[in-house]
Amino acid sequence: MKKIMYLIMLPCKKVTELIEKRSLVGLSFKEKIQLHLHKTMCDACTAYQKQSKKIDELLERYIHTSDTNNSGSYQNHELKQKIINNLS
Amino acid sequence: MPKSDTAIVMQSWVEAFSDKMYLWTLYKTNSKETAEDLVQDTFLAAFQAIEKFEGKSEPKTWLFSILNNKIAEHFRKAYRNPTINESDRNVDTEVSLFDTFFDSDGNWKKEQRPKEWHRDEGNLLDNAEFINVLQGCLRKLPNNWFAAVQLKYIEKKRGELICQELEISPTNFWQILHRAKLQLRKCLEVHWFKN
Repeated sequence: MKKIMYLIMLPCKKVTELIEKRSLVGLSFKEKIQLHLHKTMCDACTAYQKQSKKIDELLERYIHTSDTNNSGSYQNHELKQKIINNLS
Repeated sequence: MPKSDTAIVMQSWVEAFSDKMYLWTLYKTNSKETAEDLVQDTFLAAFQAIEKFEGKSEPKTWLFSILNNKIAEHFRKAYRNPTINESDRNVDTEVSLFDTFFDSDGNWKKEQRPKEWHRDEGNLLDNAEFINVLQGCLRKLPNNWFAAVQLKYIEKKRGELICQELEISPTNFWQILHRAKLQLRKCLEVHWFKN
């Protein structure tokens, strides 16, 4: 009985793992059902999935945003000198 | 191009672009040392490959394409070879990470159950305070977890492809991302969304 319950109702730890797997490589049919069933009964994992997606969006935009717009005043003379010395 | 001319051209590129390249790399790697090393490597590589640069693209574009390859290579290395201390730390981090969040049955501990975030204010990435929090949380990740996060988002590739390049199993990769995400989510919640 416990085994059947496990098959139907995965523990939250496993479910959060599936949520990350989903966004990276996708889920099998069985995993999709397991995830869906679990979420219908678990507010915490539903919230986790929402937040996980939000973090994905934030990181994706963060990593592709250039932060060099405000570099006008930034000068790293030491580094420049090091590079120039290396090249000659 | 005679060698002395090359040196003059390179020098002018260093003057014009190295600051931007440094900031760009610092933004991605979160480490001053790494950023300096990668920018230096880039100019060295450019110097050696100057013959291949035929003026078809802007010097800046060319330099940044070399730099971005160096950055991705850096994260691949960091992911594959966490230093010995780091991997020791990971075993501990891993065990205590799961123990922090989940009970012995693998379900959320009562006080750890995620609840909806209500704090939501337009474009968070325009908010310098939030960027600070995000960078602080990223810095707390173990090296190879951070590398996995960067690799996932930098290259905009399907997971399988990233794993092929890293010669690792996809399972390993998304399990590391899972741990990184759990830690990052908690950190952002504590330092931002709960406020």
